[in-house]
Amino acid sequence: MSPYRDPELDDVLQDDELMRIAELLHSARLPEPPLDDAFRSALRRQLMQKAWGPSERGVPWWRKAFAPPALAWASATVGVVLIASLVVFMSTQPPSGTLEIEIQSPVADSSSVKLSQPILVAFNQAMDHPSTEAAVQITPATKVGFSWRANTLAVQPTSGNLAPNTQYQVTIGPGAKTASGQLLAEPKTITFVTQPTKPATQPTPSPTASPNTLPGGLVRLAPIPQGVFYTPQWSADSSTLYFVGAVGALQSVPAKGGDVKVLVPDSVSLPAISPAGDRIAYVRGGKLVILTFADNTTTELTVTSAPTAVAWVKDQLLVGTRDGVYSETPDGPVKLATLEGPNEATAVISIAPDGAHAAFASAMSLFILDVATGKTHNLGGVGAGTTFQGWAPDGSRVLYNGVIADLEGHTVATLPGGDPSWSAQNEILLGSDTELTEVRPDGSGLIKLADGTYHNPIWAPNSTSFAFLRGQALWASSAPAPQPLPSAVDAASARVTAFMEARLRNDSVGASAFLDADGKAAYGEGGPALIPDKDAGFKRFYILTAQPDASAPNTVRVVVRLVFGHGKNEKALVEETLTLRRQLSIDPFLIHGARAGKERELGKGAEVVAIDVQASTVKITFDSDLTPDTVAGGVVLTDSKGKQVGDTPTYANRTVTITGLQLTPGDTYRLQVLTSVQDVHGKGVASEYNLDLIGPGASNASGNHRDDGATPSPMPAPGTPSPAPQD
Amino acid sequence: MSDLQREDERRLVERAKRDPREFGVLYDRHFQQIYRFVYSRVREQTAAEDVTSEIFMKALRAMPRYQDTGRPFAAWLYQIAVNAIADRYRTLKPSQPLEDFHDLSVAGPPLDEVAAQRDEMRRIWTLVEALPSQQRTALVLKFQEDMKIEDIAVAMGKTSGAVKLLIHRGVSRLREESDVLRPAE
Repeated sequence: MSPYRDPELDDVLQDDELMRIAELLHSARLPEPPLDDAFRSALRRQLMQKAWGPSERGVPWWRKAFAPPALAWASATVGVVLIASLVVFMSTQPPSGTLEIEIQSPVADSSSVKLSQPILVAFNQAMDHPSTEAAVQITPATKVGFSWRANTLAVQPTSGNLAPNTQYQVTIGPGAKTASGQLLAEPKTITFVTQPTKPATQPTPSPTASPNTLPGGLVRLAPIPQGVFYTPQWSADSSTLYFVGAVGALQSVPAKGGDVKVLVPDSVSLPAISPAGDRIAYVRGGKLVILTFADNTTTELTVTSAPTAVAWVKDQLLVGTRDGVYSETPDGPVKLATLEGPNEATAVISIAPDGAHAAFASAMSLFILDVATGKTHNLGGVGAGTTFQGWAPDGSRVLYNGVIADLEGHTVATLPGGDPSWSAQNEILLGSDTELTEVRPDGSGLIKLADGTYHNPIWAPNSTSFAFLRGQALWASSAPAPQPLPSAVDAASARVTAFMEARLRNDSVGASAFLDADGKAAYGEGGPALIPDKDAGFKRFYILTAQPDASAPNTVRVVVRLVFGHGKNEKALVEETLTLRRQLSIDPFLIHGARAGKERELGKGAEVVAIDVQASTVKITFDSDLTPDTVAGGVVLTDSKGKQVGDTPTYANRTVTITGLQLTPGDTYRLQVLTSVQDVHGKGVASEYNLDLIGPGASNASGNHRDDGATPSPMPAPGTPSPAPQD
Repeated sequence: MSDLQREDERRLVERAKRDPREFGVLYDRHFQQIYRFVYSRVREQTAAEDVTSEIFMKALRAMPRYQDTGRPFAAWLYQIAVNAIADRYRTLKPSQPLEDFHDLSVAGPPLDEVAAQRDEMRRIWTLVEALPSQQRTALVLKFQEDMKIEDIAVAMGKTSGAVKLLIHRGVSRLREESDVLRPAE
């Protein structure tokens, strides 16, 4: 240990033992604590927003004031007051020579500046307007107008808005001078980046602690004694719950609350209500019984062995046992599929709502059985058999161990923690000891619905009510209306955004999670780098265009741009064309293909920054104001045979529009921007730009999600344990 | 801090007093040390973030009233921090084991002594945790943040003599635990 001596403490630590302890204290240095850089940046932003003026709920004054239809000067007024107060304050200070010119802007160094606002430039003293305006330079080439309020200059593009996805550099050159004639000592550049035309699709938010958002509150329905398996069945009209209570009694209760009615006094298990809601099947004493509600009669059915799972598929009653799946017919049970290699632990746990598959446990593992072919697939290893969690309402997916898998056992998505229940509207409730959340099957739209205990929730057929366990009681509640489903393009764009964010933070593992096998190969040798070289200075990305591929179901093509640079300056971009696919519309998209274009140098002429493709119109937005005469003949759309399509392009407000199109869905078209296109300063496009576009078809938001007419049956009871022998 | 650094800081502070938008530079300079100090006291990231936010927000609001007393600007921030932590400390209990936090790697001694020394260091900061709050703060500012007594006095709102007394009492209290601290023979 190095000797420690602090003269300040000489009179305090006067003996060797105290000094030794001081040495110890000084030597055990604290390492840097865990620090979230996002917090550090966010706090700085928050401080700067405060510094720029009073705000409410964290919204900067200039943002609120510029919200449509407020005029620019309405917000500038606040800035003027701020600047004026600074000037008044400083004017009351003792004179100390010439005041240095200070320049600030609320958009300086911002990365998602709204398009519909002027660029405010605030000076700390009165400026000479003509010389200051003349000293303003802006890149990309943009025609602007000026207006003043006190010492704040508003620079407003004459086209109305700023260009999307664009880094702007506004420089106040040394020609600017104060009202008293003092020249700006050195140029001052304000740099910022604008947001996309359409706000970026938000990635799945983290669930936030919010007040209970369940409409209608909670209704306590009936006691459920500890140790009783919770096996509720909703009536077809979602008005009644059937459940097994104390001593195995089959009971019913109105979903809105009321008297509990005992239908069968004891020993009931595996209740299953028919899709029409007129009958309920159950097992009692090892026998399969159907209770018909209309006349309160029961019918005992023949079974070959003790049922371990019971399900209705339309009007057909299916039964799972230790050796297979049977259909109950008037002539007795008919075996549909056989479980291979049964042993003591083998048994069907659940039959899918469409009857096409069954889940079974064997040797502590979970398997899925194709009822038609008898083929089986392993879902999980040892112990997984106890965590079967249900089916998609159409039987196309299976839930187990917190994952959604396809019917061959491949994991499609991972769910947050909690007991899941999948609604007919494709919303998954997740209940736990502490909260209730909701998420779509593709992992998007995660929201917290309520705090509190929500064990084993189960949706009603109407997808608006659900039941759950809390304490030793059965409860019901209503859920909020489902969130609107994003279109395929939005869903794919959200995935690309999350993928690119992972790349931006050099998270190769996180980025790889968005790739399927072909996607991984595409980013392998010879393809674009998954994590761009550090020296390249990957600064940001934006989606140029995203289109459903009408030639292939559940396929979206996204063109994303990676912007590179060092310091504040952006120097180049590389365009990647990504193909995203999903098997079903309820699945998350995965990146299936990727192709990178040539690097394009920035600041060398007008650049395309957004493209909107419709069947009859294509709009191409540039970052610069263009010389209109150069647009016709300079922006060309051709079909796959190279023939130009559409009317002569028109130009307004930085956007070239090609009309008169009849783009064929799924066909490929090529957009060309030739070097003859010039910005308002007469600078041509640095190099020809080509982009292949797809003729748009109808949105495939619903894709080819299977709908084979199978009546959704109530979900198997979550938490249903592996069946116990019922000999 | 050299005279040049001191002058540079004075200029930055004066600019921030005149124009709160200049506060960002001071934030950038002092965030890390203030966050580190706060974390050393609350030892929970979320709580440390909350307290650090509160400190810099208070500092920004109070900038126009800041008086240069000749002490480093950081001493003033520490003063706000000490008060903010005192306000919060009653409800924030340290949750992270000291063993996880203190870097016990120290260059110098032969390898066969390292284990014993590390164990001793682990124990000493465990003992510091048991000291009264003000003694604890004084020891952290002195031995971890390497602050001058006068600056600690500003931060803690006490006289230099009072700070020395706190350090003396703290170290003496640790000496009373010398059996615990002394390396195993």
